[in-house]
Amino acid sequence: MAEMTHIERVMAALTNAPADRLTTYPIACGVNRKLVNGGITYREWCHDPKLFAQAFIEGQKAFDYDFAIGLMDLSVMAGDLGAGVRMDEQNTPFVDRHIVNSPEDYEKFEVPDIKKGRSAVLLEGTKLYADKLKTEVITAGFLEGPLLALSQSAGAERMFMDMFTNPSAVHKALETMTAYDVEMVKGFGKTGVAGLCWDYLWANYSCLGDDQYEEFEGCKKYAVGLNELTTKEGMAVAIHSCADLPHLDTQIFKFKPAIYSMAYYPLIPGSPSATEVIEKGYADNCLIGGQIDPQLFIRGSVEKITQVTKDLCQEVKTALCKKGLQGKYCIASGCEVPPDVHTKMENIKAVVDTTKQYGKIDW
Amino acid sequence: MSKEAILNKLSDAVVNGKPDLAKEGANEALTSKIDALDAINNGLVKGMSIVGDKYAARQVYLPQVLMSAHTMYAGLDILLPAIPKSAVADMKRCAVAVVEGDVHDIGKNIVKTMLTASGFDVTDLGKDVPTQTIVDFAKEKKLFAVALSTLMTPTMDCMKAAVDGLVESGYRKNVKVCIGGPPTSPEFAKEIGADHRDADAKDCASWLKEVA
Repeated sequence: MAEMTHIERVMAALTNAPADRLTTYPIACGVNRKLVNGGITYREWCHDPKLFAQAFIEGQKAFDYDFAIGLMDLSVMAGDLGAGVRMDEQNTPFVDRHIVNSPEDYEKFEVPDIKKGRSAVLLEGTKLYADKLKTEVITAGFLEGPLLALSQSAGAERMFMDMFTNPSAVHKALETMTAYDVEMVKGFGKTGVAGLCWDYLWANYSCLGDDQYEEFEGCKKYAVGLNELTTKEGMAVAIHSCADLPHLDTQIFKFKPAIYSMAYYPLIPGSPSATEVIEKGYADNCLIGGQIDPQLFIRGSVEKITQVTKDLCQEVKTALCKKGLQGKYCIASGCEVPPDVHTKMENIKAVVDTTKQYGKIDW
Repeated sequence: MSKEAILNKLSDAVVNGKPDLAKEGANEALTSKIDALDAINNGLVKGMSIVGDKYAARQVYLPQVLMSAHTMYAGLDILLPAIPKSAVADMKRCAVAVVEGDVHDIGKNIVKTMLTASGFDVTDLGKDVPTQTIVDFAKEKKLFAVALSTLMTPTMDCMKAAVDGLVESGYRKNVKVCIGGPPTSPEFAKEIGADHRDADAKDCASWLKEVA
């Protein structure tokens, strides 16, 4: 088959039509800042929409991905809600001061002005890279789900215990988080991205059971409603799982995303392999992404990551062929490529180039 | 109330995540002259062990585990001061810490709970802990083990720094170093010279008990 454009390839994958090869997207986001102006700090990158966008544009030039998905970090919403965010120069920003100290504090949350703070940087930056790249690749924004935003603001331990002892207070705050997400979805809808990738972090059996997840995020008034709004705003729903033991039935069969990206946790018994995910039907109506160990981008050699990518291509091609599917698997990292100064950029290139060579669909 | 009833009350309080009942049971244990260590091991710890098994079997999840841990500590706060010093001295001492540069401590807290429930005397050094603090504390307190955690990739190097610091201090051969957290792996543990890596807090406690 003749070589397809990135967009043709992704559209073929999404619709299970014949494609030239598997799609690929090492989730390289913050690490692309190393390509901007000889390398900028994380702080600079995530405070300036132009620099934020430029990193994705430079990443596309350097590595020729099939997607551009604009993950900034997981403390954007919490920071704009008033939590303290620690901003080391070369580390992913993270919350170091939570703002819930009593059950009453859950009621004090207010939806921030999304035209200010890092929410605005995220939206403006997303629009800038979407404008530049949307005719070349499939672009998507990236947004934290309500339970994640709340856990980042309240502290995960505190929130989990309050889910047990003060569920109504937690729900009150989740309503505010959802209202904040609604504003953000509408904002992303104006950026021109083709999709919106949700991080529903806590949908995993290490943390919550099905009933708990359903009550606190998986239901109509939270995630289901937000997914519907995403579609209504003209964007495809994508989901990134950050965790082991994901709630695949909920996140894929119930949420029905166009794309689902799997985390890499081979050590946890019960976390599904790429083959198992395909065999169990999760790829039937969803483009699955995964599952290269993100640590290989720092600690692996080019030879090692090339071999891992080659093996993964072979594994998923075999499983897809057996299932009668086409290119419904995207060769990706199982979580973000570490945005570390020591990350080997040549390993990102190796994943893309290896997929081009060994991801050819020939059945 | 009989001894058995008090011990059951402590265990049930932990299983059901009821800190007030654990405090009540702990006070009743002391009033009834039940040995504090007995009340801990056959009451609170027994309950936490049940919760640990249920968590492993995915019958309960993180909210319940955290509430149970909170409940166990509520009881321990009352019972620990009543343990004879000689009994405490016999317990193997451990420290848990989230390494410098990281503040994600939920995993560390669960490891602390499981180590405590396994009979170790555990000091929580907290989060974002400087390497030198870990090294100095291990040497000064003659620790049997340190359990280090991180969620983030850039701070994994601080785990190596802690192992290197222990080597430089001359105390490394006396202390077991366990690491954990999503980005870590057994290969990484080997690479930095740590003794063990687990994906599960209960397994970490089991391994330390095995080598103790």
